[in-house]
Parts: sequence; structure tokens; C-alpha cells
Amino acid sequence: MLQSISSNADQFKQSFREEAREILVDLEAALLELNENSGDQELVGRVFRALHTIKGSGSMFGFEKLAAFTHNLETAFDGVRSGRVPITCELIDLTLHSLDLIRTMLEQSAEAASAADEQACAEILAKVRRLAALPEQQASGGQANTETPAPTESKGEQREWRIRFAPGPDMMRDGTNPLLLLNELRQLGALSAKASMAAVPPLTELDPERCYVSWEMALVTTAGADAIRDVFIFVEDHCELAIEPAPEAAGPANQADKTARALEEHRTPSGGRRTYDKPDSASSLRVPAAKLDQFVDLVGELVTVQARLSAIAAQRDDPEISEVGEEIERLTSSLRENSMNIRMLPIRGTFEKFRRLVHDLARDLGKNVELTIDGADTELDKTVIERLSDPLMHLIRNSMDHGIEPPEQRTAGGKRATATIHLSARHSGASVLIGVSDDGAGIDAARVRSKAIEKGIVAPDAELTEQETFALIFQPGFSTAKQVTDVSGRGVGMDVVRQSVESLRGTIDVASKPGQGTSVTLRLPLTLAIIDGLLVAVGDDYFVLPLANTLECIELTREDVEKANGKHIANVRGTIVPYICLREHFNIRTPRPALEQIMVVETEAGRYGFVVDQVLGDCQTVIKNLGRFYRHVQVVSGATILGNGSVALILDPERLVQDAMRLDRRTGRGSVPRATHGNACASKSHIKSSPANAAQKCAGADLHAGACQSQT
Amino acid sequence: MSLTLQESETANVVRFEGAVDISSAAELKDLLLQALGSGREVHLSLAEAQSLDVTAVQLLWAAERDARTSGVALSLDDHLPESVTAALKSAGFNEFPG
Repeated sequence: MLQSISSNADQFKQSFREEAREILVDLEAALLELNENSGDQELVGRVFRALHTIKGSGSMFGFEKLAAFTHNLETAFDGVRSGRVPITCELIDLTLHSLDLIRTMLEQSAEAASAADEQACAEILAKVRRLAALPEQQASGGQANTETPAPTESKGEQREWRIRFAPGPDMMRDGTNPLLLLNELRQLGALSAKASMAAVPPLTELDPERCYVSWEMALVTTAGADAIRDVFIFVEDHCELAIEPAPEAAGPANQADKTARALEEHRTPSGGRRTYDKPDSASSLRVPAAKLDQFVDLVGELVTVQARLSAIAAQRDDPEISEVGEEIERLTSSLRENSMNIRMLPIRGTFEKFRRLVHDLARDLGKNVELTIDGADTELDKTVIERLSDPLMHLIRNSMDHGIEPPEQRTAGGKRATATIHLSARHSGASVLIGVSDDGAGIDAARVRSKAIEKGIVAPDAELTEQETFALIFQPGFSTAKQVTDVSGRGVGMDVVRQSVESLRGTIDVASKPGQGTSVTLRLPLTLAIIDGLLVAVGDDYFVLPLANTLECIELTREDVEKANGKHIANVRGTIVPYICLREHFNIRTPRPALEQIMVVETEAGRYGFVVDQVLGDCQTVIKNLGRFYRHVQVVSGATILGNGSVALILDPERLVQDAMRLDRRTGRGSVPRATHGNACASKSHIKSSPANAAQKCAGADLHAGACQSQT
Repeated sequence: MSLTLQESETANVVRFEGAVDISSAAELKDLLLQALGSGREVHLSLAEAQSLDVTAVQLLWAAERDARTSGVALSLDDHLPESVTAALKSAGFNEFPG
């Protein structure tokens, strides 16, 4: 029991960290909003409550320094709340900076703080003290007391309050001792308390760690209802609380109004039953990410085993096995969908995080920039979200530094002085589109070109389309910045963007108009773990094509091939569709059957066909990495294990088309014509494949080795 | 903190030592049930206890009520340690059993 309690303490610390991180995000958002809307009392209240919660919970879980530091901020915001301290940009900036320090303290073990951190804390506190005009001793560094600042509330005369406090069932288990709250109340004034044992059940039914006791208290104090409520602020969601003035002491009219409102908010439900006794009280759970990963891995394994079962059932021709097999297939499919859904998170958190970045950068660069966000509720896989943060940051920094002009230049050009950066997210089939656009100066194609020639990235006589030119900005070491600034200009950021997006199997589109702005769109897969695919065979080899992009499947006969005069094109109901013969592309040396199949796939470059021997059917595909050795083989996005235990490579249609076109250009065969309606948008470019590399050329020869190397 | 149950022919004695809190709540519940289950007189010895938290108090309170309804005699030391009584009083447990 003792052991479990001490490990509980660690768990509480951890859950405090997690909670505090969430509160800090909210706090940051509130502060930035407050910066634009300084009169909003509700926002001030939100900031104050968040600070108070961090302080209170912090000291409860042994983060004393953090609590002491936060206490001073809280005191300053108490001044703001009561109108004594004005809200200034300086105060907001200081508080934002303080949040960074709180974050650092949160990650450190309770007492380990470096001298530099201490120094930084002391400096910030000195500034806060000056701004909030607080007396010296009240805001002194690390050893400030963490009790609720009673004196700040001492506005009124002494009054008696009635407080009814019923802790939630899990309060004790969560590490909160209600008796300490009573002691905290005693610091506000004279308290008499009476515990009510009415809810305590017979011994046999009693849950020993649940709190059944509630308290009726009378408190005589000069403090107001807010100060009393603040004592309970970090348990407020887990208890029932009513604070009202004692009948004979109903104060002046304005105070009475306030109290009446407070009472209304906290009116206890009728029948004496507590709200949390309802069975649906726990509507969401906090689960460690690692457990979730493990769960999804297991579902992945189950999908593979289920495929084996289906394969065996098909061979045996036994209706009973088939029936069970189908049932399991159905269940596995919904289990897979469910497990994928659990991993889906809204992108809001990632987007909101950039408000701070934009705020800070705008200040540093002397530009006026506002961030607008669209589609923040769009959900995508946890792993994708985690890995999206870096590329987005680089794109925003790049926009802020290179794209957006200084205010004077904007006004002179007839634009609004305040520039806009717009973040957007929306679903599109099995992909999600993340957009970062600005209304800045746009990309100067000529400049990009001359810089690329200067850096030796392209030959001076190279003929580049606008798309190809824009693609150059994602090359390593490329930068048009005249100066290397803190923000960007070293030519690293955009390369990071390209690499991150490629590692997520995504693509980047750039659209830009001179003087009007630039828009970068990242197309990313919804999930990285499992996809729906179509299993196809070429000779003895199996491949998987993503089902989401596949449009239809048509036959290709010898006559069709002969009619096309060696050109790789098919006539699909009057439309010409170019195709890529996988047998030729991957150099598979088995005889070509008389009747082949063309899988028609929608790609960014238009409709393309992939010629295969046989289409075996759809399959749920658990994506396995090919390992580091094959990371340059970009036409293959991974591998999967089939029901019969063999390995199938998962093809990336987009890259396959690009690869085929490039090979075509190099050999001058022209056997794969460009799709007719591809490249529709003249000012758009696609950057997918990195420069041709040997590994890719050898993709065909290495396929079998690749299959053996795939991680299982 | 330690809790012990001493069973004898005439009475069962539950002995409390140190700080009795949520970490021993489940154990205390089992001991009380065991002590009351025999039907013999139960004595709670709190002389060595330093403090009781809410979980301990509600267990003792429930035990006292159960004993009363089932007609088992339950007694407490005549003199509780000062620290315990003070804490109980300040927590508003005015009707503490015994």
C-alpha cells in the first residue's frame, strides 16, 4: 500500500506537469488576446485563475520554487484585476517570458534550478514588481510565501460568510487534503467548521480512499467572496462549493448583487445528491502516448494475422472457417478504424502555439503581423501533428522575415500596414492540406534563379519553369536573404521543411504572386500506420497501391499495346491516359502475360495508369518501414506483410510518376507522355522528389533485397 | 504508521501508531471489519497515534455506527493524544466517537 502511494505521488507530479502544460498553453492564448483587447475583465480573470491554479497545485505537488515565482505574477495580476495595475505591452511580454521560465521549472526536478534560471527569475520579478508597483518584500525571489495574498483583498469591513464545501469522491486519492484547505481559510479570518458525516456509508460499503465528509463553515473575515473562492480554486472542478454571506450580515447593495450571482452559479442540485455521483462523470481519460502506440502496433499485428486467416480460409474452401474469417475481418476493420480515431487529434494546439511565435517575431522585426487560423478542429494522426511543428515554424519564420514587408513599405504599396499570416487545415480524401499563406511581397522568381545559379544549384543556361524555380527555395543551403538574421537567411529552414514533409510522405505546393503574397500548402497523409490498399501482382512480386488515389481498373490487351505504336498510352472511354508499366519500370524479368490490367490512379500531375499482371483485391495494409538503408528509394513508401507471409512493397504513385518522367527525359524515349490536364495552375509548383539519386535508379534491382530487409 | 489488531478471548484491540492516513485506509478498513466481525468488544487504542486524516476519521465513524447498530461494544482510550484531538477539533469533527 505504501509503495503504491509513493508511486502515486510520482504519478500526481506527472499529471500535474501535464495539466500545467495545458494551463500554460491556455494562459499564453489568454495573454495574447489580452494584448489586443486590454479592457476585457473576463480575460484578466482567466489569466488570474490560471496562475492561481498553477501556484496552488504546484505547491501541493512539491514544486515550491515554481509556486513562489507564480505567486508573484499572480499578485501582479490581482492588481490588474482590481484595476490598480494597468495592462501594458510590457507587462504582457514580461508575463509571456515568465511562462517560459515556469515551463523550464516544470520540466526540472522540483528543486534543481540553475543559477542562470534563478537570475532570470529574479530579473523578471524585479520588472514585474516595478510595473505592478508592489512593495519590495512582497515579491522577493524564491522564498516568497505561497499563501493566498489575503491583504490584497482587504477592501471591505469584516463580514461573516457561510461556506458549504463537499469534496469530490476522488479528492483524497488525488492527493488533496481537505483539512489543508480549511487551514488556508483560517488565514483569512476566524473559522468555525462542522463536519457532516451524513454521507458516510456502512463500513462494508465504504470505499476507504473516497471522501464522504462535507463541511459547513462560518468564516468571519474582511476578505470578499472572490478571495474565499480562490482558496478552493484548484479543486473547484472536483467539489461542490457554496459561499454566501451570513443572513444577518448581508452587506451593501453591490456586494449583495455579487454574492447573489456567485450563489446562483453554485446552487447545489436538489435532492442532496452530488453532481459527480452521476455515472457519466468521467467523460475523458488521459492515457500515456506510449500505451496508445503499443495498442496501435498490436492492432497492426492483428490486421496482419487476420489477412493470413482470410488467405487460409480462401484456400480451404470450408464455409465454417470462411464465416469466422469474415466475421474477424469485419471486427478487425472496425477495430482498426477505432484505434486510428483514438490517435487523431485536432491541430488546434499546434496552430495556437504559433500565436506566440508571430507575436514575438513581429516585435523583434518591427513588423505588424496578425495570425489568422482556419480549420483548427481538423484532426490528424498524433505522429503527424508532432512532426508538423518544425516545418510550420520554419515556414512562418520565413514568411515573417522574407515575405512580409516593413509597415512603411506596405503602406507605400497601398496595402494594409498590418500583414496577415493565415494558417489553415482541411481534409482532402486520405490527405490533409495544411496551408501557410501571407499577404507579403511574394517570391521574386528572377532573384531565386540568379541566386541558384550563383550557388551552383542550377546551370546558368538551365531552362526552368516557374514551378521549378520555386522548388529551388527548398534546396539545402539556398537563401536569397542579403543578410543572415536571427530569424532566417542561412538557407537551412526550407530544407528542413522539405525533409520533414518528405519523411511524412507528404508533398509541398508553392503558389506566389509578386506583390500579393505566397501560399505554401503541405499535403500530408492522415495517418502513418495503416492504409487501405489494393494488392496487385507483377510476375512473382506483390505491390500495394493506396486505395484512396485509385480510380478504376481496366484491361490492357496485346492489341491495345500494338495500336499505340510503342507509346505508353491507353484510351479510357475517349480520354488518353498515359501509363507506366511496372514490369519495365522495376526491371522484372518474367514473361508478360497476354492480358494485363491498368490501375488508373489520380495523381497531382493528372491521371496515370500503372500496368500490372493481376489485381488481387483490397487489403488493409500495416505500413512497415524499409529501414534506413532504403530511405532514398522514394517510389516505395514502405512495405507490408501479406497473409501468406510474403512481403509487398507499398508504392507511392506520385513519386512513381515523377520518377518515370525523369527517367524518360533522361533516356529521351518519350514513352510516358505527360498527363493532359496536369500542371493546370501555372503559378504552382510541386516539390516532391529530391534530386535524382543512384538509389532510386537502382530501385528495380534492389526490390527483392528491400523486401527481405523490411522490418517486421 | 502501523496498525495492529490484537485478538483475545474478551476483546479485540486495534492499535494505531504514527500518522494514520489514506495510505493505510484500506488496511484499516479490513482490520475494523475483522475486529467487529467476531462480535467481541472492540477497543481502539489511539495513544500512539500522531494524527488522523479524513479517511481514518470516516472509517472510525462508520465503525462506531456499525458497532452501535449490531450491538457490539466499541470503546476508545480515555485520553487521546493532544495532537489528535486538536486536529479533529479544527477539522470540525465535534461528534467524534467515544
